[in-house]
Amino acid sequence: MQASIANQLRSHLSSRGLLSLLVVAVAAIPLLFVISHSWQLSTERWLGLWSSRLPGLIWNTLSLAIWVAVGSFALGVSAAWLIVKREFIGRRLAIWLLVLPLTIPTYVFAHIYTSLLDSNGWLGRFWQYLFGAGADIPELYNLVGVSFVLSLAGFSYVFLLVRDALSHTHQNLEEAARIQGAGPRRVFWQVSLPLLRPAIAAGLALVVLHVLSDFGAVSMLRYQTFTLSIYLQMNVRFDSQAAAGLSFILVCFSLTFLVLERFFRKRQRFYSNAQSRKVEPQPATPLEQVLIWLWLGLISLFAFLLPLAWMLVWSWEAWLSDLINAAFWGYVGNSLLVSLLAASVAVVAALPVALYHAKQRNMLSQSYVHMAGIGFVLPGPVIALGILSFVLAVLPNLYGTLLVLVLAMVIRFLPLAVQSQESAAQQLTPSIEQAGRSLGAGPLRNLRQVILPMMRGGMISAWVLVFIDTLKELPATLLLRPTGFDTLPVRIWIEASEEMLELAAPAALMLVIGTLPILWFLMRPTRHAQHG
Amino acid sequence: MRLLLLVLSGLLTLACHTVSAEEILVYSGRSDKFVKPVFDAFTRKTGIKVVLHSGSSTALLNKLNLEQRQTKADVFISNDAGNLQKGAELGLFRPVSNKIARNIPSNYRAKDNSWLGLSARARVLVVNTNSPLAREVDSVFDLASPKLKGQLAITHSSNESYIAGVTVYMVSAGKEKTLQWLKGMKDNVDNSVFNKHGKIVKAVADGKKAVGLVNHYYIYRHLDKHPDAPIKLVMPDQIGSDMGVAWNVAGAAIIKHSKKAKAVEKLFEFMTSREGQTLFAEANREYPVRPGISASSTIPSVGSFKVADVPMAELGKQRGATLDLIEKAGMP
Repeated sequence: MQASIANQLRSHLSSRGLLSLLVVAVAAIPLLFVISHSWQLSTERWLGLWSSRLPGLIWNTLSLAIWVAVGSFALGVSAAWLIVKREFIGRRLAIWLLVLPLTIPTYVFAHIYTSLLDSNGWLGRFWQYLFGAGADIPELYNLVGVSFVLSLAGFSYVFLLVRDALSHTHQNLEEAARIQGAGPRRVFWQVSLPLLRPAIAAGLALVVLHVLSDFGAVSMLRYQTFTLSIYLQMNVRFDSQAAAGLSFILVCFSLTFLVLERFFRKRQRFYSNAQSRKVEPQPATPLEQVLIWLWLGLISLFAFLLPLAWMLVWSWEAWLSDLINAAFWGYVGNSLLVSLLAASVAVVAALPVALYHAKQRNMLSQSYVHMAGIGFVLPGPVIALGILSFVLAVLPNLYGTLLVLVLAMVIRFLPLAVQSQESAAQQLTPSIEQAGRSLGAGPLRNLRQVILPMMRGGMISAWVLVFIDTLKELPATLLLRPTGFDTLPVRIWIEASEEMLELAAPAALMLVIGTLPILWFLMRPTRHAQHG
Repeated sequence: MRLLLLVLSGLLTLACHTVSAEEILVYSGRSDKFVKPVFDAFTRKTGIKVVLHSGSSTALLNKLNLEQRQTKADVFISNDAGNLQKGAELGLFRPVSNKIARNIPSNYRAKDNSWLGLSARARVLVVNTNSPLAREVDSVFDLASPKLKGQLAITHSSNESYIAGVTVYMVSAGKEKTLQWLKGMKDNVDNSVFNKHGKIVKAVADGKKAVGLVNHYYIYRHLDKHPDAPIKLVMPDQIGSDMGVAWNVAGAAIIKHSKKAKAVEKLFEFMTSREGQTLFAEANREYPVRPGISASSTIPSVGSFKVADVPMAELGKQRGATLDLIEKAGMP
């Protein structure tokens, strides 16, 4: 007993443990802000919130989360299944088309689809062509519309994770089931799907957390979720206590959800072994080819090609009217700078937390991982407010510098970095590390020569994910950017709220183009796996 | 690793933008294109640069309130008098000198000159000239009439212009009447509200709705692009003892902790000068607040209509009560 406590203490005091604690303490700043402010809320005001707002908000937010989860599941899992199991013409192109929607922020999707569905928009005119001139064009300002937009913006996460899991599943298990006489449908439901459960859960968790904290799309489409209501409390009523109270409730929801999701994934850990074979896609018959492309084509048409075409057309207008000037390239540079810094810092900051948990796997390390996830359970405007208050009170000299903005981005997207590095660190079976140590490598050398090379894939995807999300980030950037320091999302926001399409489009297009080389990095490990 | 740190710190120092002595930092809640012409002219004249930090008026005011004495901003520009008054009540501003404030009539500025209105707008009705219903509305209170069910276009109720309008009606006509009015409009719009004024004008022009409630300049913005659109401006509440049209101003205030008093004073002098006022009004076809300067000839001239007698400061003072009323009615 005593020995185990001493052990725990020693592990706690190890450099990884201390560094993790430091990272987690910084990540918890916004949460402390929320707790301290909601603490000041009197009982009557809590009751007032409860009776006036909460039931509607809970209903709105939960139904949106469920709809988007269902939508992303349908799109992401079906697409991943087809891509992994069948070989067809243009398969690599299809993979790209299904990942590229990640480059478009939710508020750009919302903006583009509202203008496409306008009575002068392409889709609006097509609709009236189909159903007659007087037909009512569907609107996006409701649950279905917002779910549509957020599913398009989020299903790629499910696709990526499920595709990865599928191409690494043990085909032996499926074959064994087939040999035992199970039909293909039974194999799918009883063998393949249960094996995919962790990947699907992780993908959906990512999507749902994005939904809970989304600010851009819900505020453009005026759909009252917790995040939008919190923002309005802060900015229309200047009531940071009520905002903190609502945030507190949102945090409780999200944490419950996260714990459930972890519980669901528990005991689902597989060490891949050398004997498992890679999945070989079967050649598709011509009819299958047509059907596959019909489905994947339909998805990519709405999730990427239509928005891209819209951006190109309006960017051309902007180009013609000389709106792409030095100031515009300044926004591009600012965006890249913030994203580069945030991604690099986040990867370094997440490393000790991921390694510590991979090694310890105890309650403490688990709670560190949860705490590092604060960025995903709190809405962006609240994180920004928490950091702003903290920096003003504690580090006033830093206020207004780029550093504060980078700090906010790192806290917001740390969970992405921790998650991808932690899953990479899981491959480090304890024996690998011990082998290194027993051969005489010191901890640092072990880190450099054994651990980091094995985690490279995870670190790269962590970097890429944080980079992409920072490039698209809006609410924290709006509040914390240094004065006169505008990024592409800020410009899109300002121009779109003034209905200046030709100014928002080139900025949105630059977001897509800026992400392309980075995405290529993310896709590379799989290419390596396929050819190597 | 050390190299990476070195590069990162280098980038950081490069990116830190510091405002130099001859620069004024403006938190602007207005669209860049409405304020830039004025600031460009100011810079040409005085050599003092103006750095724009744009956003929504309320969010910027909230930011100022959090920053307090640590703010780097010198001037706050808002699209709505409500925000300006709110900021004054929060003690964020410093009074403008009497000499400058005198350029602006007293009902368009704070009592203690802690903010000045710079350009004014009217909250008007836009009607489709082909709709038979169009002839039946001459007051905003007609918008609650059951005849307009499915035919009314309004913005969502967190829009600042909308809130300010409701405040004017509430002060002029009383809480009970305004509440009933909101409820009637709620039935008429059937949960389908617009997020942009531009879209309201467009819906009316396309004949999808018969009547909309907007700021006057959105109508002209639409007519610029579609001169033949079947729409018309109706100045509401003009008959007999009606209250008159609701009025709102966009304006500016000096941040209390600004350290550039001299430069800022010059900027305010310019913004309230004849030249500055003309530029402000032209940029968005608004009404100059300084007397004796004519507005764009396309819009109804000042004096040709009656304006509701509600001091602009009320838009801030009564905003909380207005929000409560809107919430009570359950407006989307």
